[in-house]
Amino acid sequence: MTSLIRVEWLKMKKYNAFWWIMGITALSYPGINYLFYVIYSEVIQDQSKTGQLAKMLIGNPFSFPEVWHTVAYASSIFIFIPAVVVIMFITNEYSFKTHRQNIIDGWSRSQFVTSKLIDVLLITLLITGLYLGVCLVTGFANQERLIKNTWGKSQFIGLFALQTFAQLSIAFLIGFVVRKAFLALGIFFFYIIFEQFLVALLRYYDSSARFFLPMEASDRMIPVPGFLGKLDPEIYKKALDAVQQQVFIVVIYTAFIWGICYWVNRKRDLK
Amino acid sequence: MTPVLSITNISKSYGYIKALKGVSFDVPEGSVFGILGPNGSGKTTLLGIIMDVLRQNSGDFLWFGKPGSPEQRRRIGSLLETPNFYTYLSGTDNLKITQAISGRGNRKDIDMVLKKVNLYERRWASFKSFSLGMKQRLAIGAALLGNPKVLVLDEPTNGLDPVGIAEIRKLIVELKEQGHTIIMASHLLDEVEKVCTHAAILKTGTLITTGLVDEIMMDEDVVELSAVDFQALKNVISQLGKEMILDERAGTVQIVFPKGMAKMDEINRHCFNNGIVLTQLVLRKKRLEARFFELTN
Repeated sequence: MTSLIRVEWLKMKKYNAFWWIMGITALSYPGINYLFYVIYSEVIQDQSKTGQLAKMLIGNPFSFPEVWHTVAYASSIFIFIPAVVVIMFITNEYSFKTHRQNIIDGWSRSQFVTSKLIDVLLITLLITGLYLGVCLVTGFANQERLIKNTWGKSQFIGLFALQTFAQLSIAFLIGFVVRKAFLALGIFFFYIIFEQFLVALLRYYDSSARFFLPMEASDRMIPVPGFLGKLDPEIYKKALDAVQQQVFIVVIYTAFIWGICYWVNRKRDLK
Repeated sequence: MTPVLSITNISKSYGYIKALKGVSFDVPEGSVFGILGPNGSGKTTLLGIIMDVLRQNSGDFLWFGKPGSPEQRRRIGSLLETPNFYTYLSGTDNLKITQAISGRGNRKDIDMVLKKVNLYERRWASFKSFSLGMKQRLAIGAALLGNPKVLVLDEPTNGLDPVGIAEIRKLIVELKEQGHTIIMASHLLDEVEKVCTHAAILKTGTLITTGLVDEIMMDEDVVELSAVDFQALKNVISQLGKEMILDERAGTVQIVFPKGMAKMDEINRHCFNNGIVLTQLVLRKKRLEARFFELTN
């Protein structure tokens, strides 16, 4: 395993596109949360009756423990940025034909897929670390008094990591099957938009089939944050209750994706 | 002695196209084994199968007497089809990856092979800045990393200039002398004739012949003679009642015998007894190229 990590590190450490995209990610995740924070600040600073009512209802979603949930929800919007890196990592192997060379040099076909799994896990880890940093900085910056419940909703760390890993795995699968970087990126972005339409359509017909759509299934692990949910407590409670079921669906989907990749790579000709 | 590679009845189809049809042969240890064939004959497919990047439909192969495995591939230096490297990485960094995967060699060896293939000065330049010849040399360097006892080279002189071709040829001969086994696919017959000890000839996926290169080429004995008086020589040789090939411009007569049947001393005596003093008497090997065309057409 350490040998696989070492090889993947050799591949990525001098890959400029990787560092550029991770840099953009490092800016965008705090950026979107800051934007949410600015909007929130403007709402609560409104001295009108509506503004004060909102302040009372919302509380401070950027203080502990609510910040874990708020930041996870806001950050998940930018999953498409690290997805670019994941797609590049696998499609590069095809365009350089190194997916063959790695096997010729002595990896098993399973080891090759494992090395890519390591890439996706590593990026997930980096993104989760970034999320953790944003949460801690935002949480402590918004601490108005001593809060004992700092880690109260820290289950969102795990949910955020799983959501990131699951959605990056979908990106990986597309790259793995399509093999061409631009085509894979196009299909991935198109699918994200297409699925949103599909979710809206299924919601309109009140069909629960939408909960099983690959991206939506993992999106629903992090429901709309409490400060928004409080406006409709019943929907919020329903969404929270569904999290466990969604985790189960996502784990099954993700295991299935990687299972397919291992199986296909073992069987097919590496051209 | 267990052959380095033993191929048994390997078949491979791409849809309705049969790329390999029950190919079997052994590669003895210490040989330079040429796999020959025109384009589309299945050479690269066969090498792809033995290096596990392609799956055969039937048949089997053994490396060192055991079924193919990643452990065995790590002991083999390979160059298959085109040089496959990460374009954004330098020559050194690419070889570090080869080294990390195969476990062959160390950092010192990387510099050593880069020197051997004349890329040491450009070792930090990115692969994408390399010329075709440099890319090919890096691929050969990667195959040589850690001095593996077995090398699989697919068209190793592709993209090289005449000096580069001569260098690779010399390198292959050196490696052979050091006891390495080299399996080499090529359609450059001259190249194979010069360096290979054994060969297998493929045509549209079928094995036409395999064995020692000398045996493949010498299916018949061709004796070439010349004398000062070409006409007299021609008359004397015609008395032997054998097939003759005359080349008046070169002033030579060639006599064709079944393999192993040419008796040089008897021919010499026959000419001398009939008043002809030979200026040349040689047993010619048929050129591999000629033999190849005979076998594949």
